[in-house]
Amino acid sequence: MTDIKTGPANPSRRTAIKTLAGAGAAAASLPLWARYTHAQTAEPIRIGFQMHATGIGSAYGRWYDRTTQAAARLINEAGGINGRPVEIITEDDGTDPKRGAEVVEKFANQHKCDIAYGTLFSHVVIGSAPRAGELKLPYFVVSEGHHVASGMLNRWTVQPGITDVKSQVKSMAPFVAENLGKKVTMIFPDYAFGHDHRDFFSEAIAEQGGEVIAKLAIPPSETSFTKYFAKIPRETEVIYHVMVGPAVLTFVKEMGEFFGPSRPQIFGFIDSLEAVDLASPGLEFLEGTYFWEGMPRYAQPDQTEFDKHYREAIGIDENGASVNDPKDVSTYAHMFGCWETLYVIKAGMEAAGYAGPQDRQKLIEAVEAMTEWPESNEHPQGPKLFNGKTHQVFGPQYISVVENSRLKVVQTAAMETGFYPDEVDYTTQSF
Amino acid sequence: MAVLLLLLASLIPGAALAHATEGGLVLLLPTDLYIAGGTAAVALTLILVVLLPDRAALALFRPLPLLKSRGRAPALTSFLSFLALVGLVILGLIGAHNPMKNPLSLAVWSLFWVVLVLVQGLVFDFWRWIGPWRGPHALLRRPRLMCLPGWVGHWPALFSFAAFAAVLLAHPAPADPERLAAMVACYWGFHFAMTVVFGPKWLRRGEGLSVLMHAYALVAPFGKVRGRTRLGLHGWKVLARPAPPLTLALFMVALLAVGSYDGLHETFWWFAQLGWNPLEFPGRSMVVRENLAGLVAALLLLPLIYATAIAAGLALVGDLSRFGYAFCAFAPALLPIALGYHFAHYLPVLLVEGQYMLAVANDPLDTGAHLLGLDHVHVTTSFFNTHDTVRMIFIAQAGAIVIGHAIAIVLSHALAARMLGDARKAALSQAPLALFMVAYTLFGLWLLASPRGV
Repeated sequence: MTDIKTGPANPSRRTAIKTLAGAGAAAASLPLWARYTHAQTAEPIRIGFQMHATGIGSAYGRWYDRTTQAAARLINEAGGINGRPVEIITEDDGTDPKRGAEVVEKFANQHKCDIAYGTLFSHVVIGSAPRAGELKLPYFVVSEGHHVASGMLNRWTVQPGITDVKSQVKSMAPFVAENLGKKVTMIFPDYAFGHDHRDFFSEAIAEQGGEVIAKLAIPPSETSFTKYFAKIPRETEVIYHVMVGPAVLTFVKEMGEFFGPSRPQIFGFIDSLEAVDLASPGLEFLEGTYFWEGMPRYAQPDQTEFDKHYREAIGIDENGASVNDPKDVSTYAHMFGCWETLYVIKAGMEAAGYAGPQDRQKLIEAVEAMTEWPESNEHPQGPKLFNGKTHQVFGPQYISVVENSRLKVVQTAAMETGFYPDEVDYTTQSF
Repeated sequence: MAVLLLLLASLIPGAALAHATEGGLVLLLPTDLYIAGGTAAVALTLILVVLLPDRAALALFRPLPLLKSRGRAPALTSFLSFLALVGLVILGLIGAHNPMKNPLSLAVWSLFWVVLVLVQGLVFDFWRWIGPWRGPHALLRRPRLMCLPGWVGHWPALFSFAAFAAVLLAHPAPADPERLAAMVACYWGFHFAMTVVFGPKWLRRGEGLSVLMHAYALVAPFGKVRGRTRLGLHGWKVLARPAPPLTLALFMVALLAVGSYDGLHETFWWFAQLGWNPLEFPGRSMVVRENLAGLVAALLLLPLIYATAIAAGLALVGDLSRFGYAFCAFAPALLPIALGYHFAHYLPVLLVEGQYMLAVANDPLDTGAHLLGLDHVHVTTSFFNTHDTVRMIFIAQAGAIVIGHAIAIVLSHALAARMLGDARKAALSQAPLALFMVAYTLFGLWLLASPRGV
């Protein structure tokens, strides 16, 4: 159960502490020291990592942490940011919006962090962003929610490392309409998360000449689904499902039992089964069904060197699980957002000549001015286009089919398929 | 008992933290069958206890004498424990902010509240060695300033345990190292001051956690009676001692109430009662009032139900006049149930946080040390991801609940036999309490099998 990794594994905080220790001792013990000496100050860049260490987000939080520590370690090994080491200061928000705001405040006032970063759950982002705005603290979120690009947040909040759900859903519609069918029944949990999918996809499939012929909203506390399947219209060509929570496996199993061998095409979002082993019992029925993936969990035959580098740095095997424990499946479809965001922060700070908290505004302006990042070690998920007005990044989306309990990418949706008209221009807002 | 032994044999260490996959896999297990089997096992125990002669039940609780043992635990270990606590509080203030990496958070919520409580009930009274007040108090060498009045009973302990439970269940950030350091320091300081005023008696009647630990030690298999360490079935010490006073009996019922609410407040059912979406938990800070209300309700309701069962049993044998005594005498029989719940509820937590504890023990100051020779500990939760491990975890949890209830039934029957001295009367007087315990088994297993939203 406990895995022991050999080789260097120094969370950046540790490196930073060592770096700050007495110069002679540090120079002797840390060759990295030499790399920081050209900076005007060896004071670390402090990145406040708002982590879901406890609460409903903790399964994601663990992997967001592992990705963050790996990226920070590499950044430090390569000389840090502007010649200064990066220190990750982790605070637990309990996946709780009110605590999220407190944590942001702690980053700014107590820990003297340069920025706050890393929040996943939408309600925590929405609860924390106003405080970040008041404190004028750059807030880099990794949440895939549409709340940034919708304009409901503020100029200090940016999402440059992960695409938002609106573009994800929108870019699925052409594939569904062309390959699976035009008459779609949607099955979704009856709350905001499900409603977003319902609204975004209904609009997107209509643009492709398709139609959502039934919308089955499932009460969030439901644990038995057969009665809903009976409501699926006979002419349904595709089922689009986005169920989440502990009942997902039951949902899939009962869907399999309901349809038997003659089923319509099925398309889902991997959010339902993130960190779940696809060889779990009850999931056999998913063979031949399709999923959106933020980043392919299983290394593909045409795996890029960037994906290889990324997996190796975090310690992930070709099945998207921990190299220390092949059954420990990562949150692969989302956690790349942490990695890419940290590299955007690095690029932004370098572009802004960031020297300290007085340059926070410059940092936001520098990030707003960025437009694209090529697929690279820094952006292993794929090339990105950044919209400085909406503070939202766009990138490719992956569509995979389940084959032998693995996901095989069948199409990469170009990022243009996920574009939609701007809903806000944060650059017109004052700081 | 054969059923019990079979269940014991099937106990395999394994288990889990709130995790979607685990919850999902549990929903796919034939939990209906497990619940039926577990409840039937407890019911069967009840039938066996009624059919077998009372002396058989009493014989089960006769301990084996082992070594002669020394007197009191030395104050030195308590003092060392106090020093460790001071160190932990300092680390809470200056150490890692992530509670999963901070020694204080892990020491309080994983080491103390999970591991030590289980050691206390499943092995022996370890707390008498490490309770962090006695040593420093002995060092003062001061007589008490006041006598703790008898009418106070164990009420202060009950209130201090309720305060602890409120932090556990309702505080928005119980594991936040800085806030926890302040809470621990205040808790220790308050009870130390009270110990200075009232003497060590305060620790037996006023300090909730020591009273809790001593209560669980009552059902530990190892124990000391008449100068000898002895080993017996959980609960033998209950029979070897007089009935606890009323407020201590209430405290024991409160232990079960808190444990039950701890399980209940995470279920979809509870979310539905409060109108919350279990898939979009708003965070602990949004539900402080509801959780406090639930805790208070549990602390009021369970003693009422228990008292009703006791009264009904005595009414059946026409002996209601002994209600007060019976209420106290049978309360310790609830301890094995509370302990079974504790094990079941926290087994998953232990499996995950045990790894974090290992990592922190390896590098307590976050300086890159490898005290245990581990280069880096990667915490895994893969045992929540596979059908076999989730099943093993569930069976271990369900087994603990079933065994706890079965022991409780045998113990309460033995207590009744001793109190009433008549097999038929004992069985009859026990019927309502035994039914309550069978129903509680059902409730406990249902809790385990329920989808959870936190």
